[in-house]
Amino acid sequence: RLMQVRWSRYNPSYLEPEVNKELYQKPLEELTEEEREQMELKAVRPIKAAPPSLSSSVFSDPMVSKFTNMMMKDGNKVLARSLMTQTLEAIKRKQLEKYHKAPENEKETIECNPYIIFHQALKNCQPIIGLSNITKGGKTYQVPVPLKDNRKRFLAMKWLITECRENKHRRTLMPEKLSQELLLAFKNEGPVIKKKHVLHKMAEANRAYAHFRWW
Amino acid sequence: QMLRLIYTTTAVQRKNVGASGPAKYTEAFIKKQIEEFNLGKRHLANMMGEDPETFTQEDIDRAIAYLFPSGLFDKQARPMMKHPSEIFPEQRKIQWGEDGRPFHFLFYTGKQSYYSLMHETYEKLLNVEKYQDHLIAQDLPLQKEKRNLAGSRWLTKIELEEMLLEKLSDDDYSRFVQLLQKLSDLPCSDIEEKYIQKFSKEVPVQMEKVVIEPLQYDERGVAFSTSEGRRKTARATAVVYDNGTGKMTVNGIDILHYFPVLQDREQLLFPFQFLGRIGKHDTVCTVSGGGRSAQAGAIRLACAKALRSFVTGKEVEFMRQAGLLTVDPRVKERKKPGQEGARRKFTWKKR
Repeated sequence: RLMQVRWSRYNPSYLEPEVNKELYQKPLEELTEEEREQMELKAVRPIKAAPPSLSSSVFSDPMVSKFTNMMMKDGNKVLARSLMTQTLEAIKRKQLEKYHKAPENEKETIECNPYIIFHQALKNCQPIIGLSNITKGGKTYQVPVPLKDNRKRFLAMKWLITECRENKHRRTLMPEKLSQELLLAFKNEGPVIKKKHVLHKMAEANRAYAHFRWW
Repeated sequence: QMLRLIYTTTAVQRKNVGASGPAKYTEAFIKKQIEEFNLGKRHLANMMGEDPETFTQEDIDRAIAYLFPSGLFDKQARPMMKHPSEIFPEQRKIQWGEDGRPFHFLFYTGKQSYYSLMHETYEKLLNVEKYQDHLIAQDLPLQKEKRNLAGSRWLTKIELEEMLLEKLSDDDYSRFVQLLQKLSDLPCSDIEEKYIQKFSKEVPVQMEKVVIEPLQYDERGVAFSTSEGRRKTARATAVVYDNGTGKMTVNGIDILHYFPVLQDREQLLFPFQFLGRIGKHDTVCTVSGGGRSAQAGAIRLACAKALRSFVTGKEVEFMRQAGLLTVDPRVKERKKPGQEGARRKFTWKKR
């Protein structure tokens, strides 16, 4: 008998809300078949309420809010959000410093937008392939396995946060350390990228067991 | 010496007691009940002074409630007179003949109707695939009139159980639904449309028709609209005025002082920003109960509802699809006995 452990207050027929303003202003002709079906479905089904962390303003970014939630401890969202804003500010300051010191021809290559740096750094940290424990014949093997998008993003963010919490000098604050790590990851250097490469090498080493995967 | 009489009954030695499951009500019994019901209906009509021919079930209910008034809270416990098919649940007749041999070939699987249904559906699937191959061989185009997904749903597990007169497990039900889905997704499933319709139901497309209140005008001639919102334990009322500068007041205090956190202010401005009317409305709100975030959510809902009167029907639909007009049903989960919190269990000690 299937006993529900993870249940929600919403009826299963409720759909997720769509906050992006532009999607609603698109005229009907530009939509693809799937989008049209989705729209028809949305017109009939009830829709869940938008959570407090979601907003249609230009400043809210789903990746940034996910990262803030992962950094949060004991439900202290205020602190996590302030740390995040301080990190982005620190990144901007460092990049601006570099920008003003650089010679004319290099000024265009320096990226100043902290959001772009954040997204690119996370993308660079995402592993492509992961290892999973599969028990066969009594022994547990580490089998290389393709990862889903969600899992990749989660691992990248988790590595960044654990790295910043553990490997730092006692006196450095989180925003500073995070901004350092993000800038290094943006350039494909730093301990998080190294961790990703180590994981890839392990997966390559265990290539022989790849056929143990059945999904 | 005392002689003691020992009684033994033959009932203990009776075999084939399987019939005590089904056939609690024999067919003859149910027929008799139906006759009695019809006679009783006519008598009741006579008693109430109405025409026996046109005496509907509603009239019966009203008459019974009048003649046998009862103060019991549970509606099922009150006296009722309904058609026997509603009172006596449908039961399966005995599935085997006099020689003990079952009629259906899948009897010994235990779930004969379920498996026979699965077999039938799969047969239809194979049929459709054959027809498809046929069309492809002749290079004819495959038609696909899209079934309206939005308007119909599959039967629920309970309804299917009633249809098959057999208990199903969740797993069985989900497998059946998957098979039905597969069948209906094929391009040429129009052939088996009748069969599929047996298992689908129309969902009433009419969602709650919410009445949008018209704008009210105050003494200065400025249009305004009031509405309420709630979230967790917070209750809020918002009055949104037209021709304003975008000022917002909560309980007499400006939002910048009442909500020092950026996230709450973002939530308050969300409905206005979504509609693009940030500097155009003035708002005066009152809120009580809940915490910081709950109050912000309640005011957001109240503002969104108030803005409905200022905005076209299409934009109201957009707001609904953005999740601005639904009441958030999430509340704090209760603590259970034997656990420390709602989910957290006590520390497990081995001894």
